[in-house]
Amino acid sequence: MTIYKAAVIGGGPAGLAAALAASKGGKVLLIEREARLGGILKQCVHDGFGVIRFGEKLSGCEYAQRFIDEVRSNKEIDIRLLTYVIGIKKNKTFHITATSSSGIETYEAENLILANGCRERTARQVNIHGTRPAGVMTAGVAQNFVNLLGVLPGKRCVILGSGDIGLIMARRLTLEGAEVLGVYEAKNTPSGLTRNISQCLNDFNIPLHLSATVKRVFGNKRVEAVEICKVTEKMEYIRGTEEILPCDTLIVSVGLIPENELAESLSVEIDPRTRGPVVDQNMQTMQDGVYSVGNALHVHDLVDYVSETAETAGKALLQPAAPRELVKVDAKGFLYLVPQRLDLASIKDSTVFYFRTAVPRKAATLTVRANGQTIYARNYTNLKPPEMEKISIPLKPRTGEKLEFILSDKEV
Amino acid sequence: MPDIRKIKRKLKKAGFGSIEVSEKLGGVWLRGELDEYEQILECGRLAVDKKTSRGVINDIRLKGYIPAPMRIPSLRDNLYEGRTPDVLVVGGGIVGCAIARELSRYDINVMLAEKEYDIATGQSARNDGMIHAGIDLKPDSIKVKYNMRGNKLYDTLSKELDVPVRKVGQYVLLTKKWHKLLYPVVVLRARKNNIPIRYVCQKELDRKIPKIGYRHGAMFFAGAGIVSPYLMCIALAENAVQNGAEICLNTAVTGIEHKDGRILSVATNRGTIYPKVVVNAAGVFSDVIAEQAGDRHFTIHPRKGVEAILDKKASRITDSVIGRFAMKSSTGKQHTKGGGIVRTIDGNILIGPSAVETPEREDESTTCESLDEVLVKQQGLTGELTRSDIITYFAGTRAATYEEEFIVEKSPVIQNLVQAAGIQSPGITAAPAIAEDIAKFCTEILSETKKIEKKKDFNPIRKGIPCVRELPIEERAALIKKNPDYGVIVCRCEEISKGEILDAIRSPIPATTLDAIKRRVRAGMGRCQGGFCSPVITRMIAEETGVGLLHVTKKGEGSELLTSYTKEVANDNL
Ligand SMILES: Cc1cc2nc3c(=O)[nH]c(=O)nc-3n(C[C@H](O)[C@H](O)[C@H](O)COP(=O)(O)OP(=O)(O)OC[C@H]3O[C@@H](n4cnc5c(N)ncnc54)[C@H](O)[C@@H]3O)c2cc1C
Ligand SMILES: Cc1cc2nc3c(=O)[nH]c(=O)nc-3n(C[C@H](O)[C@H](O)[C@H](O)COP(=O)(O)OP(=O)(O)OC[C@H]3O[C@@H](n4cnc5c(N)ncnc54)[C@H](O)[C@@H]3O)c2cc1C
Repeated sequence: MTIYKAAVIGGGPAGLAAALAASKGGKVLLIEREARLGGILKQCVHDGFGVIRFGEKLSGCEYAQRFIDEVRSNKEIDIRLLTYVIGIKKNKTFHITATSSSGIETYEAENLILANGCRERTARQVNIHGTRPAGVMTAGVAQNFVNLLGVLPGKRCVILGSGDIGLIMARRLTLEGAEVLGVYEAKNTPSGLTRNISQCLNDFNIPLHLSATVKRVFGNKRVEAVEICKVTEKMEYIRGTEEILPCDTLIVSVGLIPENELAESLSVEIDPRTRGPVVDQNMQTMQDGVYSVGNALHVHDLVDYVSETAETAGKALLQPAAPRELVKVDAKGFLYLVPQRLDLASIKDSTVFYFRTAVPRKAATLTVRANGQTIYARNYTNLKPPEMEKISIPLKPRTGEKLEFILSDKEV
Repeated sequence: MPDIRKIKRKLKKAGFGSIEVSEKLGGVWLRGELDEYEQILECGRLAVDKKTSRGVINDIRLKGYIPAPMRIPSLRDNLYEGRTPDVLVVGGGIVGCAIARELSRYDINVMLAEKEYDIATGQSARNDGMIHAGIDLKPDSIKVKYNMRGNKLYDTLSKELDVPVRKVGQYVLLTKKWHKLLYPVVVLRARKNNIPIRYVCQKELDRKIPKIGYRHGAMFFAGAGIVSPYLMCIALAENAVQNGAEICLNTAVTGIEHKDGRILSVATNRGTIYPKVVVNAAGVFSDVIAEQAGDRHFTIHPRKGVEAILDKKASRITDSVIGRFAMKSSTGKQHTKGGGIVRTIDGNILIGPSAVETPEREDESTTCESLDEVLVKQQGLTGELTRSDIITYFAGTRAATYEEEFIVEKSPVIQNLVQAAGIQSPGITAAPAIAEDIAKFCTEILSETKKIEKKKDFNPIRKGIPCVRELPIEERAALIKKNPDYGVIVCRCEEISKGEILDAIRSPIPATTLDAIKRRVRAGMGRCQGGFCSPVITRMIAEETGVGLLHVTKKGEGSELLTSYTKEVANDNL
């Protein structure tokens, strides 16, 4: 039986890029549950992908296709489609059991790359009550219906949540002749990218209502109306502001959750802030040989970074395995900071970090301290939680050193 | 005969002098109008007299309020016009389906009319899924009789119908120190109905349940079990169909013609049916059917319960059932069991239910407040329950009578009416036992005019849809070899294969809606709640049944998932 250098689980942009990178040093197995490679990008017909990586505006499908073509022609990569991983065991190597129409097979690999993406938070997870009619769905489901099946989920739609997928769907549905009555966001700032607010809502006169949420759904068989309610900053309903809005569809775009059931089955440590695994700068989790990339690691808003981190992992696992020497990175003022650990044994001249600010900041300073001494500082303007930042920092921490990352408002 | 004057006095004393009280069909008939729903309920409760009266017929109106009419399908065809079955069962909940199966043992014609798009959509799909041990029921009640027999029958049914049942037992936590003193009393009660009971010390509990909320030990009832109530209901119905019964979906009984103490015909939206015997198993509408049939001697006052389902990850909390000791229920005075934490047969944690009286029979909506109430209450049992683990919630409405007792009878007023009415909790547990008696009543009535014999070829065995996720690897591989569709996973959270979904669509009572498929194979019931699989399943339904995508529904007509084709597809279709 072939022992693969790496087994990649998930054939979305993360898995594709990781597989390509790892194939430079050995045989790679790429397992995808669906019939086609491309992951969530299969249903992203809008453009805006690849600006950073290719300097062009591609649609999600086109972006994915570039990687798919490469993977398909790469003899080192074995692809298994319509194949679903049901269990992984680690002895010296990883034994991956997967089911497909040809039966149940077990594959063996030295390294494991988890690239299985994320799932959407559902209406019930944001406490929407009332009846249970047809016409309530997540933005991703709506997008799948429209872009992959060619059908519209409704005529008069309300969108809850200003996440990117919701914004993109607001535009898509409008272009298809459906009426989008408004986008409702419980927070007082939108959670999607600024460019999407302008291109998807403003350009189409779709109103964005901040500090407002959907409390209940009405209708027995199909949605007939929703109850809108204003909320305070602490997300408490403001009594007396309830308003009934007739509509036939409620689309929720209220966040993505990394899928880590497989990681958890391998006892991989999970960061409660990202809801993905804790990793070092090589995207290696706290379990040796298990890497996590893409949206399974933390939710990205730009696919270009997905590909990039996946390549980091794919390349890193080709290096001769040496015992890791891990140092914790303390982070304050961030929604999250990745990586959460540094492996001193493999650290390079500079290290790439990805982060989101915990709160919007007009002017901010990122400070890095080693044993209390500031060793790096950089100023930012206009940081927003929805927008992920990437920064490359020259770091040479020493064993036992206390490393702190602090993001704070800049004093004026 | 009820003592009408006594009840009148009682009502007057409580300030309800305006209410008219009279005797009707051996029961107590209340009429009038009141301002508050709670007042109407109170009158009903005051009018209960189990010794002399057949029941309370509470027709007191709520001022300025008209409850929503029963939901009836808009379908009008004459598919069943002129049919003359031996027995017509009204209602396709677990009680109706169990009755249909019992009746299918005999060489008779059985039809079951269910107004909804599928069986098991009412109470029977919206409950705790517990097979009760019977301890909180009054020792000499009708409820306990059927509960104990039903509990036992579940072991056989599980094998015959290929529906998993696990007798996992139930911990009833003592919430006060002095509760321990009552233990001998409970033991005596338990003995009366042969209910196994054991005291569990705190040390053992601490090992079994994390972050437990009380420190006084528990009673353990090994006889309690868990089952998927809708799967059992479906299995009963499928086995009835295999044995010749006919399940008529989207078929609502809208009126019953009776004369001289006999039912002549039953009107439905799909034609008039002329059955020899009518069985009333209409759940929350069982008093409406009773009225139409001419023997309403009771009233259903709906009692809603909200439940929440937690992610499978929360199943570390328990692999059985946890409740709390309540004085009231131990004396049989309380009508709900106070709820608790149940590890469902599918491995989720279920918490609830609450109990709220409502004039609406079919209102299954929830509110933030009602969910909070459930969560906060059950958090008292263990600190391990967290809001973020909740993946979904729902409500069910119990068919409670004022007597808080089951009605399982051959009507003394209408010769060919048999009633299984007011079946609230523990109706899931009791249903198989109730069905035995109801089938007996039916054959007794039918025997008056013809000889009723058992079918020689009755087949009690029903094979369920394989649950590939749970099979040992070798068996799973062998199954995939036979049918490769069992290897392709469609619902990723619950690991449900394409083969299982196709099996559901092609089953004896075909599941052609998203919700019907969900109840049969769990696709879409996991943590993503159908996010990944609903588009795929929608397409599978359309392809299998030959209807267009736009006609696929979530739960029957009117709940279409999609409204039109995109411009591009519409142009292609031109
Ligand atoms: C709707 C939407 C719009 C977006 N818009 C933009 C945009 O305009 N511009 C931009 O740059 N970025 C955008 N993004 C972000 C970017 O595209 C995503 O972050 C990226 O797709 C994540 O890639 P991934 O490979 O981690 O996950 P995915 O694309 O989700 O791929 C994961 C793959 O793993 C497979 N899988 C999961 N579990 C298993 C298993 N057990 N066995 C086998 N296979 C499995 C899945 O089927 C899937 O194919 C958007 C994202 C979404 C969701
Ligand atoms: C919250 C809650 C928790 C519970 N927990 C448990 C438990 O753990 N264990 C237990 O043993 N019991 C439990 N119960 C009780 C149990 O669910 C019920 O007793 C049982 O489901 C009753 O079954 P049924 O067939 O009588 O009613 P239903 O399931 O309600 O079926 C009646 C059917 O009749 C149909 N119908 C009504 N009118 C007409 C008409 N005119 N024409 C055609 N069809 C009609 C309805 O559509 C419905 O499908 C619980 C109940 C609730 C609400």
